[in-house]
Amino acid sequence: MDRRDFLRQVAKWTAGTLLASPIFNITPELLAAERPFPRVAIGTGNEITTLVERVLAPLGGMKTFVNPGNRVVVKPNIGWDRSPEQAADTHPEVVKAVVALALAAGAKEVLVFDNTCNEERRCYHQSGIKPALAGMKNVRCDYIDKRKFVPVDISKGKSIHNWLFYRDALEADCYINVPIAKHHSLARLTIGLKNIMGVIGGHRGEIHQNIGQNLADLNTVIRPALTIVDATRILLRNGPQGGSLRDVKVLNTILASADIVAADAVATTLFGLNPTDIPATRAAAAMGLGEMNLARIEQIRV
Amino acid sequence: MKYRPTTRTFRKLSQLLFLILFFVLFRKTDYSGSDTLPYAVNLFFRWDPLVAATVTLAARKVILLLLPSLFVILLTVVMGRVFCGWVCPMGTLLDLLDKGIHPPGNPSVRLRKMKYLVLIVLLVSSLFSLQLIGFLDPFSLLVRGAAFSIDPMFNWLTTGFFDTIYSHAPAFADRVTEPVYSVLKNGLLPFRQSFYFLSTLSLMILIAIGAMEKLGKRFWCRNLCPLGALLALFSRWSFFRRIPTASCRNCPQCAPNCRMNAFDPDNGKLHHEECNLCMDCVDDCLNQSPRFAFTRRNNHVPVDLGRRAFVGSALAGMALPVAAKVGAISRVPHPLLLRPPGVKNETDFLSLCVRCGECMKACIENALQPCFFESGYQGMFSPRLVPRLGYCEFNCTLCGQVCPTGAIPKLLLPAKQKAIIGIAVFDVNRCLPYANGIPCMVCEEHCPTSKKAILFRDKTVMNRKGEELVVKQPYVVEELCIGCGICENKCPLPGASAIRVLTASKGTSGYSDGYG
Repeated sequence: MDRRDFLRQVAKWTAGTLLASPIFNITPELLAAERPFPRVAIGTGNEITTLVERVLAPLGGMKTFVNPGNRVVVKPNIGWDRSPEQAADTHPEVVKAVVALALAAGAKEVLVFDNTCNEERRCYHQSGIKPALAGMKNVRCDYIDKRKFVPVDISKGKSIHNWLFYRDALEADCYINVPIAKHHSLARLTIGLKNIMGVIGGHRGEIHQNIGQNLADLNTVIRPALTIVDATRILLRNGPQGGSLRDVKVLNTILASADIVAADAVATTLFGLNPTDIPATRAAAAMGLGEMNLARIEQIRV
Repeated sequence: MKYRPTTRTFRKLSQLLFLILFFVLFRKTDYSGSDTLPYAVNLFFRWDPLVAATVTLAARKVILLLLPSLFVILLTVVMGRVFCGWVCPMGTLLDLLDKGIHPPGNPSVRLRKMKYLVLIVLLVSSLFSLQLIGFLDPFSLLVRGAAFSIDPMFNWLTTGFFDTIYSHAPAFADRVTEPVYSVLKNGLLPFRQSFYFLSTLSLMILIAIGAMEKLGKRFWCRNLCPLGALLALFSRWSFFRRIPTASCRNCPQCAPNCRMNAFDPDNGKLHHEECNLCMDCVDDCLNQSPRFAFTRRNNHVPVDLGRRAFVGSALAGMALPVAAKVGAISRVPHPLLLRPPGVKNETDFLSLCVRCGECMKACIENALQPCFFESGYQGMFSPRLVPRLGYCEFNCTLCGQVCPTGAIPKLLLPAKQKAIIGIAVFDVNRCLPYANGIPCMVCEEHCPTSKKAILFRDKTVMNRKGEELVVKQPYVVEELCIGCGICENKCPLPGASAIRVLTASKGTSGYSDGYG
């Protein structure tokens, strides 16, 4: 929420109170949401497990986000039936490292899932994510259970006002967004904001008809506590599913931020683009979901 | 009283084991987390000598995959029709059904020759390249009935029960039912609900075969089953036979209770080729006199098949392929008839395909569906891709792996990814960027070829409000499109997709005339 929005809300509230007809909803962000500080940690390294830990350190480590006993959702991109080196899905080692850190921070249970585009069993296996998590205690890497999609009113939505969301994502004590950064022909890039496509149901194809605003609207419902962008290798062309190693560039980079818009904004620069080039980033920043102005984002290299 | 296992015990045990094997292989006909299936899930078709015979005749080549059928022939030449009595899951199911149906004793033997007529028609028409075995092979009927209707119905009812409790009952009920449900999901239930065309028809065929039991035990096996007929012919040479060769005079045991009604009603002589060696007559004999033993041919009852019937059925077998050849469907192939990946020639495909349903059961996206009349009656139950239901998964090769006859070639992944199934074509009257000036790119996003077969052009158009704007309009790169159908499947328009996969005209069908 930006200042203008705040003032508008306050004005509405005051007017509402004065008129003694409380017809306005107290939007949750007015009461609670403190806008996260736009700090993005960036790290490069070959050893993924330690890299994830290093990148989280400037943000206070995983324990800042995960409290003991929490039910944590780790949401990677498992959308495509592609192998890790093809850079269409989040790297399994990144996912595994994040899950392990969440458990070490005291998480009671970690759920890992995605509403895939290709056949889900193929995606979960081919991406390497399900095999990587096999045998870890208190970790569930289950396929999407269609019964768990519940309709949610998107009170702040400008373009969509109701959509099906996955209950496990809504009910999480701590939601960690672990997207991969890659090319996308319509959205230009798909990073953190677009990763929300994996926790919604319904006719997802319709989202594309106004993709920037729609993604921003969806992101008002689920606000990740932490966004960790996997840029260990990025997909430069033929996204979002690629398929050819010619389109892949290895960067060995991981970004992390409590501010999803800031994380996307900084990740955008890895592709030589400006945050303003990405419709979803623009729309999300306009709605006050985070900071996209690189000058106002504190970037910490580790 | 002490329990003593009899021959019947062993026979039932064998039947049960093979029935279980049948269902285990059925359940394993699915993606398992690895790209290749670890088991020969198509075993029942690969050892089926009727499949081997008709496919070899129709396709005029020896198919190595079908070598196990020689084992069944050998078994029959030595032991007689033990396959029918001890192995065949269709026979076992009919035996089980009899416990409830109580078939009448001493049924008519007049229809017995039917199965030979059926067999002759099938073999002769195969010789002239018309493959009709799918209509009557017991395993084809069984797998299709199970895959297209019984298994989806079972899943529908079970998940329906648990889902209702999950959505409507109080939370404490979930705590009991959900663990049960997850156990079922991990073992007994299919991974997901599947849907098939011809589900009712496939079920009806099985019900009809079951209902015929009301006319007599093993009605199907005795009178209609062409596999039974083939094995009966081979069993005429077998060494393992019943002694004595006739039922005892005036004894009410063997002959009236024989499930195959194999004793001649006039003279009590055993038609050895009808006997399926269930050996109930040994167990139930009041005098303990009959036994089965290795012996030389000990009776000479002719096969009940007259010369006229033989010639008549052979002529029918010759006429059917010609009738099919002059069917108009051979001139105007159905424009939406998409065959599984790797199938090149429609005629060769239909002569190899035995309609076993394995590919449609295995298809990971539920995309392969049985044909009805899209390729004529002779192509009924053969597989076709229906992209709006499901698409061909780019990295999946399961259909080629489970095909028992090689009708769908077993391709390695790189070859499969280049196999052309059809060609995608836009309907610009409906496609959003063309028709309404609304941006949409779902087809392009999902296109799996690594150089995408769907690309965009920027185009200035007028939207419905009359405003000019630039939208990306998709188009198909024909050289790259393999016709997997994911674009048609994912198109967000309601009803028909704005991009459809049509039969590729790149010389794959081989029999279309068209221009020149």
